Amino acid sequence: MLKNIIVAPAPHISKPLSTRTVMIDVIIGLAPAMIAAGYYFRIYALILISTCVISSVATEWLCNLIRKNPKPLESLGDFSAVVTGIILALSLPPALPIWAAVIGSCFAIAVAKMVFGGLGSNIFNPAMAGRAFLTACFGILMTTWTVPATLDSKMPDISADNTLNAVTQATPLAWSKQAIKTKTGTQTVNDQLQAAFTGEIGGCLGETSTLALLLGGLYLLIRRTINLHIPLAVLLSAFAFAGIAYLINSDAYISPLTHLTTGGMLICAFFIATDPVTAPLTTKGMWIFGIGTGAIIMLIRIVGEYPEGVMYAVLLMNAVTPLIDRFCKLVPAGGKPNV
Amino acid sequence: MKINTKGRFSFPGGVHPPESKDLTCESKIQPGPATKQVAIMLSQHIGAPCRPTVEKKQQVQAGQLIGDCDAFVSAPVHSPVNGTVKEIALQSHAVLGRSLAVIIDADPDNNPPKLPCSEFKDGFDANKYSPDQIAEAVRQAGIVGMGGAGFPTRVKLGPNPQMPKETMIINGCECEPYITCDYRIMLEWTNQIIAGVKLARKAASCSETIIAIEDNKPKAIEVMHSSLKTSQNGDNIKVLPVKTKYPQGGERQLIKAILKKNVPTAGIPPMIGVLVQNVATAAAIAEAVVTGAPLTHRVVTVTGEAIANPGNYYVAIGTSVAEMIEFCGGVTKTSAKVVLGGPMMGIAIADLTTPITKTTCAITVLTKEQIGKAKFAGRQTPCIRCGRCLQACPEHINPTKIAHAVKNNLLDVAENYYISACIECGCCSYVCPANIELTGYIKTGKIFLARQRKKMPE
Repeated sequence: MLKNIIVAPAPHISKPLSTRTVMIDVIIGLAPAMIAAGYYFRIYALILISTCVISSVATEWLCNLIRKNPKPLESLGDFSAVVTGIILALSLPPALPIWAAVIGSCFAIAVAKMVFGGLGSNIFNPAMAGRAFLTACFGILMTTWTVPATLDSKMPDISADNTLNAVTQATPLAWSKQAIKTKTGTQTVNDQLQAAFTGEIGGCLGETSTLALLLGGLYLLIRRTINLHIPLAVLLSAFAFAGIAYLINSDAYISPLTHLTTGGMLICAFFIATDPVTAPLTTKGMWIFGIGTGAIIMLIRIVGEYPEGVMYAVLLMNAVTPLIDRFCKLVPAGGKPNV
Repeated sequence: MKINTKGRFSFPGGVHPPESKDLTCESKIQPGPATKQVAIMLSQHIGAPCRPTVEKKQQVQAGQLIGDCDAFVSAPVHSPVNGTVKEIALQSHAVLGRSLAVIIDADPDNNPPKLPCSEFKDGFDANKYSPDQIAEAVRQAGIVGMGGAGFPTRVKLGPNPQMPKETMIINGCECEPYITCDYRIMLEWTNQIIAGVKLARKAASCSETIIAIEDNKPKAIEVMHSSLKTSQNGDNIKVLPVKTKYPQGGERQLIKAILKKNVPTAGIPPMIGVLVQNVATAAAIAEAVVTGAPLTHRVVTVTGEAIANPGNYYVAIGTSVAEMIEFCGGVTKTSAKVVLGGPMMGIAIADLTTPITKTTCAITVLTKEQIGKAKFAGRQTPCIRCGRCLQACPEHINPTKIAHAVKNNLLDVAENYYISACIECGCCSYVCPANIELTGYIKTGKIFLARQRKKMPE
């Protein structure tokens, strides 16, 4: 009557969720930013995103072969390498040469992820580690910003870069760095707010359009792929620190709203800092992580030498995540047992 | 007056699995199969197992005592049928693996099917019985908690000077998907339940009594309400709709939802003056006290997409699972799992000769589609630390940390993260996108720890 019945621990039903569905949700969440990148940077976006995705996936497959994984293709099915590739691409300057993007992807997957044991075991966000490696190796390439194709090339500070055959422009954050030194010119940066909202400014491929990133973040929140704690903590703490600086001297420091909409702030808050593997597990831990990330970003932007601090802020907070998790141990609802 | 059937009371955490109760919620309680043979487990409860009081080839009558124990935390067992003891042998047991059982061949000519008790009318008066009388009748009838845990009811009801009980909550939540036996009992045996509630309240000397029902059972709430209203029935008994959420029927969660109090970790509800009883247990108490009949039959929901005729049956305890499935028309589709209990906390069995015990609420036969592809294949992927298990955990512990500690044989870490606080509700495994059997690992860890402390044999 009954053949082949299986025995397994309870529960015997489960929510129709898998790592793959979670990752596909993230990819859908990143879609608006990718579309915006395609609209503003045209062919650069296509080349960079496809290069990073393909080389990330290929690197993971090669690592599986080297590790003598009996099913080297199985781990690719969870799409986590695709997500890493997309996030890396979106955080790179649009006109980055293909070979540099390939090196960055290889480092992200091979060194930051597979060496630690693959998905779930990595300490650092792979995309940010890859970007940090590229910044360390090819500093000039990583700070050369192409102007959106839709933009009038008579804008200030625009110059033709012969090596990249592209029209380049300093980013608002680079201007703000200039403003900190000269104590003037913050108004020019603050005026870019509307351009930053739609994305019509210089910057990394997927970081320019505030609107697209907010849409994607909203999707992830509605799908409950991420929860509100980390994005809110990052943005609130960055807003607070930027606000303090702005109140002290509004000639030298740009407005907090400009800080939130420019650079990698939003992609960090919604897509990078929320990477579950490298963020704390508990709600309290998420707030500490988010506040720390926001504070380090602002510290680097206001006091540090670099115009942008997202990458280092995330990597630094990744490093202390195990510590945060240890400090934020949950106490059971019924209190500690009397043993 | 319109009765409010919407529940506001809830607890943090929990999940919303598909209810799947429509398979059996309209099917009335019917008599179960006339069994040829029953196997009465000598351990159907928490506490000391019984010793058999009958011998091989001895004649037994329905309701006769066949196993007893002198220990305080224990409950006797009785024969549900007239017949002859075939043997006393090991039988597969859903929880204990293999355990001793009295196997009785039923007399085919002398076994009318036992019908549910029809004694109870409106306005039952519990004052005829003294607390000691009630407690003794409960002990003699071998009543245990019928919601699943099987704690001897006599011990629960008995007065404890250190922990005086004030509030009694009657648990009619039935938060497990698929199961409808408590729902049917509430609809059909309403007066018997109310009589049992009054008797239990008297025995435990509780001042406040609340009947909690999840708000996905508006009919049960209305029936309970109106039958408490019509006569003098309802003195000081309140019907309270609670929010539909799994595991609302867990006693710790129910107390948290209604009284906003936490039962201490690894503690019991009487520590904060609360007593929780299942509705089926209340019905059994009424029958035992008024008619003196021992607990030999119970209502079992036979359900699941793979069962031909799902329904609720009043079954002799000791009937085998195979016989019940056959009685319900066998399985229709490719069945994949036979579960004793519901899909969230039930135990999957391989041996269908396993008998029904006092704590078996349901037999659920699931198909591959219900189980899901990953669970069917037993495929687990690495933890991505998404934290969904922490959000779902009603006890506010860290399931992934504990499960991975157990997996890597770090029992001290598991203890450090409060493995003992786990109620094994299965919410963490249910929400896990990586399909990690978190609850399974935690249960294993608890067994390892018990063995370390020499509380459990290897």
